[in-house]
Amino acid sequence: MNPIISARGLTRRFGRTVAVDHIDLNIPPGRIVGLIGLNGAGKTTALKAILGLTNFDGELSVLGKNPARDRAALMEDVCFIADVAVLPRWIRVWQLIDLTEQIHPKFSREKCLEYLAETKITLKHKVKQLSKGMVAQLHLALVMAIDVTLLVLDEPTLGLDIIYRKQFYTNLLNDYFDEQRTILITTHQVEEIEHILTDLIFMQDGKIVLDATMDEVHERYAELLVSNDQVTAARALKPLYEHKLFGKYIFLYDGVDKAQLSALGELRTPSVADLFVAKMKGVTNTSTEQNEVQTSGAEA
Amino acid sequence: MKRMIALLRREFWENKGAFRTTPLVIGGLYIVFLLMSIFTTNHIDSDLYTFKEAVRLMGDQSVELRGNVMYQGMLASSVFFTVVMGFVIFFYLLGSLYDDRKDRSILFWKSLPASDTLTLASKLVSAMVVIPTFFLIILVITHIVMAVFGSLMIIGVDGNPWTLFLSLVNPFKAWGMIAASWYTHAIWALPIYGWLMLVSAFAPRVPLLFATLPPLIFAVLQTWIEFLRTFTLKNNVLGIISEWVINTPAILSIEFSDGKGEIALGAPLTDQFDHAVTLTNMLDRIFSVQMLGGLTVAAVFLAGALWLRHRATEG
Repeated sequence: MNPIISARGLTRRFGRTVAVDHIDLNIPPGRIVGLIGLNGAGKTTALKAILGLTNFDGELSVLGKNPARDRAALMEDVCFIADVAVLPRWIRVWQLIDLTEQIHPKFSREKCLEYLAETKITLKHKVKQLSKGMVAQLHLALVMAIDVTLLVLDEPTLGLDIIYRKQFYTNLLNDYFDEQRTILITTHQVEEIEHILTDLIFMQDGKIVLDATMDEVHERYAELLVSNDQVTAARALKPLYEHKLFGKYIFLYDGVDKAQLSALGELRTPSVADLFVAKMKGVTNTSTEQNEVQTSGAEA
Repeated sequence: MKRMIALLRREFWENKGAFRTTPLVIGGLYIVFLLMSIFTTNHIDSDLYTFKEAVRLMGDQSVELRGNVMYQGMLASSVFFTVVMGFVIFFYLLGSLYDDRKDRSILFWKSLPASDTLTLASKLVSAMVVIPTFFLIILVITHIVMAVFGSLMIIGVDGNPWTLFLSLVNPFKAWGMIAASWYTHAIWALPIYGWLMLVSAFAPRVPLLFATLPPLIFAVLQTWIEFLRTFTLKNNVLGIISEWVINTPAILSIEFSDGKGEIALGAPLTDQFDHAVTLTNMLDRIFSVQMLGGLTVAAVFLAGALWLRHRATEG
């Protein structure tokens, strides 16, 4: 099948800074891809390039189109939510629906009204009268009523409380996602999306440092809980990263035989968050001592 | 086309107050003033004698004159609409590409499959066609309402509004002229509209300043250059400085008069000051208007020096 997004050497420079540095991407249909990175890692810039909101160097094709040239045409098949607060504040809900219906050929008013019926939002409400969570609900209702192939979410739940965040992803997964569609998400709340992801991409300093399916991730990476007497043996297997928690040592391994590991202690599947921390540390600094200090600091 | 109409509606929804309420208020004001004058007339002169006289006198005038006055009056009543419409369009365009950048809703608009060209066109069409059309419709309604009230008033004093004025003017000609002038003005004003939209798209903040300052600076610069060009040596900067120098209260030269030479203050090349070496002459210079100007200039220079000195050790 044709990829939804394919990029070769995608680069975006701002003066001397390289926000996105020669990245290659290949995202097939029917995936939910998490794009994870620290602030300033280039996630948003990469998404902007994909959405035709910024110029770029290199090759980029989204649904077979060049986003920098064909944004308007592309937006018939791509939707995005660029964080909660971008709906115009003066507009009324019915106007927003009218407008989207007339501009978007793939919008279904019935579906949108169905989603809205589950909320407290009425057609007469102005956006500025709605709470942050309700604005997010409204935006999601609009977007889910559009039959597109690619949905891009850039920190869609930023600043929302936990109930809205849970609901947001539940709706997305139950009512929207299917094999034809691809969802690309960036967020800092990795724990909330990790169980829905099929693919994982880590970005650091404008480069991709990990690009794998979740199955591959689970295959490749393992977390091992080790008591004090096995620490030397565990270290000998060259862990990617180690830290100490409640008197136990936790090691994270990349591509080490699982049978070999399970002999040393309790084997677990690492969380995306832990993997992310390990990957970032692994590149920035190799001293285990320092890792320990920084991790305990980060978890405190 | 469907998208264009949708975008035009969006502009109307966002700017209802400016597009529709503003001309309604002007039309309302016209009608209120007319009613006020009717009631005032009625109150002061309950028999409406004066009004009756006025109607009679009007009837005495030639048909041609009455028709012309009506026609001119209709055109004149559009001036208020035109001026306010100018302000409405000015501020509408200034915000047209700025407001959604400011509140970041541009990210929503750009998520819709409407091209930037279409969006820009919808805003320009709103300014050139939609706003004048709103104003025109409300102007026509205002005229009709005023004609109705005026006619009732004339009927009240047994006059015949039809022969008196209604039949003498073709309102469609007046409305047509006003419409034509507004729509041609929209084309005439395109450079200004373009400038306002450019500023609106570019300004990082306060588009009003970005729109007005550059032309203002340009105008000031031009005036200044013109000023320098027509300046005589006596009055230009070099002239002022040299005059300043030769008028110093320091004893510097010899003044010759009547074949006698006498030691003098400064150089006695101008007759602005008395150059004889006396204390009064020295004090005259210190307490002069020139000295006050000089002190102001000195204060500016010194403050500048202090500012620079303060920053001399920074990075």
